[in-house]
Amino acid sequence: MAQRRSARRDEEGVRFSRTFLFLLIVISIILIVNDRPETRNPALAQSRAVVNDTLAPLLDLAAQPVRGMRNIGPWWRRQLELAQENRDLREEISELAAWRDVALTLRDRAQIYEQALNLSTPASRERISAWTVADRDGPFVRARLVDVGAEDGVRAGYPAVNVYGLVGRVVDSGQRSSRILLLNDLNSRIAVMSDRSNTRALLVGDNSEFPRLEYLGREPDMRVGDRIITSGDDNEMPRGLPVGEAVQDADGTWRVALFSRSAPVDLIWIWPFDPVVAPDEAPVIEPGPDEAELALTDEPVEPAASETTDSETVNGEEG
Amino acid sequence: MRSSMDRPVVAGSAAVMTFTLVLALIVQAAPTRIPNGPDLMPLLPLMVLYIWAVRRPGFTAPWVIFLVGLATDFLTGGLLGVWALSFLVGFAFARPPVEEPATPGGELLPISLRFAALAGIVLVTAWAVGSLALGSWVSPAPLIADGVLSILLFPLLAFFFARRKERSTFS
Repeated sequence: MAQRRSARRDEEGVRFSRTFLFLLIVISIILIVNDRPETRNPALAQSRAVVNDTLAPLLDLAAQPVRGMRNIGPWWRRQLELAQENRDLREEISELAAWRDVALTLRDRAQIYEQALNLSTPASRERISAWTVADRDGPFVRARLVDVGAEDGVRAGYPAVNVYGLVGRVVDSGQRSSRILLLNDLNSRIAVMSDRSNTRALLVGDNSEFPRLEYLGREPDMRVGDRIITSGDDNEMPRGLPVGEAVQDADGTWRVALFSRSAPVDLIWIWPFDPVVAPDEAPVIEPGPDEAELALTDEPVEPAASETTDSETVNGEEG
Repeated sequence: MRSSMDRPVVAGSAAVMTFTLVLALIVQAAPTRIPNGPDLMPLLPLMVLYIWAVRRPGFTAPWVIFLVGLATDFLTGGLLGVWALSFLVGFAFARPPVEEPATPGGELLPISLRFAALAGIVLVTAWAVGSLALGSWVSPAPLIADGVLSILLFPLLAFFFARRKERSTFS
């Protein structure tokens, strides 16, 4: 039936070519193989970024009415909600005022300790605000497209947070748009720990609402309700970002109820974070024996980069 | 043979088809989720594509189906090629017959049933291919939910298109 149909020209004279169909199926398979997470082709990632950049303004436009509609509701109910929210906020402000004093005291004390210990802490850079412009969760991916990109300082790997906690990290960064891989995506892996006991674990997304905690050890010091934060052990996230609360499912598997689920992932902030560079990636260039002798003679030393390669100068060892 | 008088009409239909497909793709990708509500979205590009395959079979050449699938892949951020392949496989097995009346409203039930078959093939293919590519069996629940919603909403969309066709000169 399909064969008979495919060989026939339709009413407008365009043939549904089986050969062409087969060719396109092969192209699709090649695309899938080249876009798998472990073998992702940089050219495909680049093309994806270009398409996202092009479509981001359109998607942002489409999102505007929805953002507006979220605020529409019965007027009187909204007023009651606002009154309650106002009361809650006043209480929260009075509590926060006390916490602010504590925080300022601790900040001053930390500065004194840092000076005493001669510590240099990484300067916190300004966060980048972004709006979600596409939020379709598919069966294979949990991601968000946001309207900031490399032009705004976003780079792949930067963590993304919302008001409540960590949302995910940037996986693709175009010029004006970026894609955030959420913590519950199948390919998400984040090093975390319990804030109470410092028990380390790996937060593994499995497309469910509650990502799993893995590599906890045989008898982990973990309790239901423990606050889970990033440990920074993976050198991909800064330490201490709030992630969620430890929970246990019916099978006894430890999972995390994400803080970021408390609100829609709509407005988010991207934190610029540069991981610590490994010693072999940024070796210290130490002077060789000849240069050391020259330095002792008080004569100006010319850089010898052209004579000595990086690998030869690592730790001052030759060849 | 197409007469020169038909050309503007055909070009108009092609423009309308492009517009409706782009609109379907954007609506599907846009953040339209209700806060704390279910994340449900029918397969709008597939629905629109099928309606055009019924109305204008000549417009839904394999490369058009491939492009719509690929655009869905780009917009959903999933693996490139999964939806493109699924759409192609679906249309290879469940393309509307050319003897189908050009007006979807004419025989809504058989067209809707054929669309249900197409959606089933597309979703099973997408699930199997996506799971194989990711190396683990992903939960089919979101796909099933989206598929059921698409099948339920398709007659409504087809009826709307049929009404538009009756009023419009684009046919």
